[in-house]
Amino acid sequence: MAGAIIENMSTKKLCMVGGVLLIFQVLAFLVGGLIAPRPTTSLAFLAVKCVDVRRPHHNPKWLLPWGNDRCNSIRTFDEAANRLIEANDIVFSVHIPFQGHEMSPWFQFMLIILQLDIAFKLNNYIEDNAMVTLDVAMAYRDELTDPWTELAHSVEQRKLQCTFPASKTPENEGRYYECDVLPLIEIGSVTHKYYLLNIRLPVNERKKINVGIGEINDLRLVTIFQNGGFTRVWFAMKTFLTPSILIIMIWYWRRIVMMTRPPVLLEKIIFALGISMTFINIPVEWFSIGFNWTWMLLFGDIRQGIFYVMLLSFWIIFCGEHMMDQSERNRISIYWKQVGPIAFGSCCLFIFDMCERGVQLKNPFYSIWTTDVGANLAMAFIIVAGICACLYFLFLCFMVYQVFRNISGKQSSLPAMSKARRLHYEGLIFRFKFLMIVTLACAALTTVFFITTQVSEGNWKWGEFSVELNSAFFTGIYGMWNLYVFALMFLYAPSHKNYGDDQKNGRDGMSSGEELQLTTTITHADGPTELYRLAGKESQE
Amino acid sequence: MCKRNLEVMDSVRRGAQLAIEECQYQFRNRRWNCSTLDTLPVFGKVVTQGTREAAFVYAISSAGVAFAVTRACSSGDLEKCGCDRTVHGVSPQGFQWSGCSDNIAYGVAFSQSFVDVRERGKGASSSRALMNLHNNEAGRKAILNNMRVECKCHGVSGSCEVKTCWKAMPPFRKVGNVLKEKFDGATEVEQKKIGTTKVLVPKNSQFKPHTDEDLVYLDSSPDFCDHDLKNGVLGTTGRQCNKTSKAIDGCELMCCGRGFHTEEVEIVERCSCKFHWCCFVKCKQCHKVVEMHTCR
Repeated sequence: MAGAIIENMSTKKLCMVGGVLLIFQVLAFLVGGLIAPRPTTSLAFLAVKCVDVRRPHHNPKWLLPWGNDRCNSIRTFDEAANRLIEANDIVFSVHIPFQGHEMSPWFQFMLIILQLDIAFKLNNYIEDNAMVTLDVAMAYRDELTDPWTELAHSVEQRKLQCTFPASKTPENEGRYYECDVLPLIEIGSVTHKYYLLNIRLPVNERKKINVGIGEINDLRLVTIFQNGGFTRVWFAMKTFLTPSILIIMIWYWRRIVMMTRPPVLLEKIIFALGISMTFINIPVEWFSIGFNWTWMLLFGDIRQGIFYVMLLSFWIIFCGEHMMDQSERNRISIYWKQVGPIAFGSCCLFIFDMCERGVQLKNPFYSIWTTDVGANLAMAFIIVAGICACLYFLFLCFMVYQVFRNISGKQSSLPAMSKARRLHYEGLIFRFKFLMIVTLACAALTTVFFITTQVSEGNWKWGEFSVELNSAFFTGIYGMWNLYVFALMFLYAPSHKNYGDDQKNGRDGMSSGEELQLTTTITHADGPTELYRLAGKESQE
Repeated sequence: MCKRNLEVMDSVRRGAQLAIEECQYQFRNRRWNCSTLDTLPVFGKVVTQGTREAAFVYAISSAGVAFAVTRACSSGDLEKCGCDRTVHGVSPQGFQWSGCSDNIAYGVAFSQSFVDVRERGKGASSSRALMNLHNNEAGRKAILNNMRVECKCHGVSGSCEVKTCWKAMPPFRKVGNVLKEKFDGATEVEQKKIGTTKVLVPKNSQFKPHTDEDLVYLDSSPDFCDHDLKNGVLGTTGRQCNKTSKAIDGCELMCCGRGFHTEEVEIVERCSCKFHWCCFVKCKQCHKVVEMHTCR
C-alpha cells in the first residue's frame, strides 16, 4: 500500500477532517450522557412465602404473591412452625415486575440473581461446602386474565458461599450470614409482559438434599435488564452508523479495485475491519422487538469477538507492513506467530461463551460456574485466553519497538536519499506515527473511561443537570471505534493523485485531489525495486 | 393521611412492632429495658420527656417504618412504590424508559411524610419538635448509610464491561446496633437562635457539633431504679442480673445497690436438635440447674 490519502492531504484539510470527527465523537458521548438513561436497571424483590398444602405437589399450579388470587402466605417462618407447615410446603413466589407495570421487549435481556438471608444459629449453621437445591419454575402471561404458561422448569444446585461477620457465640445468634449472590436465570429476550417465579427448596434427609444450609429467613431476587430508553438510543445510533460505515466501505473498495495492481494485505485487512464493524453495526436487534430471539445475547458476543480479532490483527499487520526493512511480507502467513495467539485466545473465549450462553438457550437456569468441574474449566479457558492476550501484546510492543528503531535509522539517512525515495519513506513514517498516536489516544480514552465508570457512582450532577456516565461510556466508546474505522478507511485509502489514467476519476471520491500540497510524484511503489525504477523515470523527466 | 394510604398502614403497624422488638433486644441488659405499658403512650412518660431514651425510641420507630414499608414494596404488596417517581420529585419518566428507583427511596420518603408529620403539625419551632425531627432523620440515616452495595457483571462472556449494582437493605438488627451505638454517644443539646431559624447546638461547646446521624437529647434521664408509675418507670425490682459482670447488666449496678436474691432453678433446654432450613426442629429435652439472680 502506498500513496494513501493521508500523505497527500494538506495539513489544513487533515485538521478539518479531525475536527469533524471530533465533533461526532463529542456528539456520541453527549447522546449517551444526556438523552439515554442508565444502561441497565435492577429491581429488587422479596419473595412471598406461599404455603402449598396440596398433596402431591406434582401437578403444576402457579402461586401468585399478590393480587386477587394471591396465595395463602405467611410472614415469618416462626408462624409456620406453629401451624405445622413443613419446608416442602413452602413456595417462594415472585412476580416480575411490580404491580401496575409491564415488561417490554425493549428490555432486551433479563437476568435474575438470588440471595438468601440465612440467620446464624449455634446448632443450625451452614456446613462446609453446602449446596442448596432449588426447584425453580418460571411462567409468563401477556394479559392479566390469561392463564400462566410454563417457560422453564428445572432443579438446580447452587453452592452456598457464606461467611459470618461476627464470632460464632450465643450473643450473635440471629445475625445474618454474608452470602455471595447466586446466579439463577438468564434470558436473552423479554417478549412477555408478566413473569412469575415459583421456587421450592425441597428437603430430603435421606438423599442429603437441602440439609445443613442454616435457617433461611428470606429469599430475595434481583432482576437486571437493559433500560428501554437506553435500548432506543442504542438502536438509533446503530441505525445511523450502519450506512455511514457501509458507504465509506464501498467507496474504499471501489478505489482499490480501480487501481491497476491487486490489493495488498494491509488494504484487505482494513476492508475486513470495515466489514466486521458493519457486522456489529447492522441493527438486527430491531427484530428482537417483534420476534422471540433468545440467541441475541450470544450473537452479540460473537459479533464483538470478531471485531476484536480483526482489530488486533490489523494492528499487527499495520506494524509489519511499515517495518521498512526491505523484506517482502504482504502475506498473512508471515504473521502466524502474532495472529496465532489471537485466533487461539478468541477460540477459547468462544468455546467458553458457547458453554455458558450457548447452553443457556436450552436451559436458561444453567451456569457453568455452579459446578466445580465447570468452574475450573471456565477458569482454564479464561486463563488461556489471558495468556494469549499477554503474548499478543508482547509481540505487538516488540514490533512497534522495531518499527521505531527502523524509523530512527531511516531518519538519519533521509537527507542523503533521492527525493522520491525520501518522500516515500517520509510518507511511511508519517502514516505510521499518525495511526500510532490515534490508536494510543483511542485505547487510552477507552481505558480511562472504563476505569472512571467502574470507580464512580454512575452519574454526575450539576444542579438540575445530570450526566449518565455509564451510558456516555457505551455510546462514546462505541462511536469512537466506529469513527476510528471510518477514519482509517478514509485516510488510508489509496490516493488517486498523479495517477495518469486515474486522474479523471479522482473527483468522484471525497479526497478532492486537486489541492496538492506535497509535490510527491510517486504514488505507487510496492517494493524497493519498483521504487527505484519510478524514481529513475522521474529523474529522467 | 392514614385514609389516603390505607394499604401502607399494615406495614406501618409492622414497622412499629419491629421497632419495639428491636428496642427491647438492644436494651435487654439495661435498667431501662424498653418495656411497654398497656396504656398510652406505650413507653410511658420517659419518652414524652426529651431524654436519651426518647431519642432512641423516635429514631428506631422512624427506621422501623421505613424498613417495613420498603420490605412491603419489595414483596409487591404496595401498588405505588419505587416505580412511582412522583414521590421524590424525579421527573416522571416511565418504567419502560428508565426503570424504577430503589424501593428504599419510597420507604424513607414515606417515613418522612408519615412519622414527621406530627412534629411538623406542632409547629417546628419548639425545641422538642426539633429534637424529634432530628432523631427521626437519624433513624432513617441509620438504614440509608448502611445499605450494602452488591454488583453483578454481565458483559461479553460475563466480563465486567457491563456491571449493574443495587443496594440491599441491612438486616434490622444491624440498624438497631448502629442506633444503640449512637444512643451511647448521644449529644445533649439546647435550642439557639441563629439568624431567624432556631437550631439545636451542643450544650457543652467543647464537644464537636453533632452530625445528621447522631442522636440528640434535651433532658437528662432518671436513674430508672425505683418503681414510679406516674412517670412510667417500672424500676428494676425483680429483674434478672449477672453476678459476675461489672457492667450495667451486673447485679451491682442493675439493682441500684439494693442487693439481689439468688435461687437455683431447673430449666428445660432443647438440645442435640435436628433442623431443616425452615419450620422443622426435632430436639431432645435437657434439664439443667442454673443459679438465677434477681434484684430486690
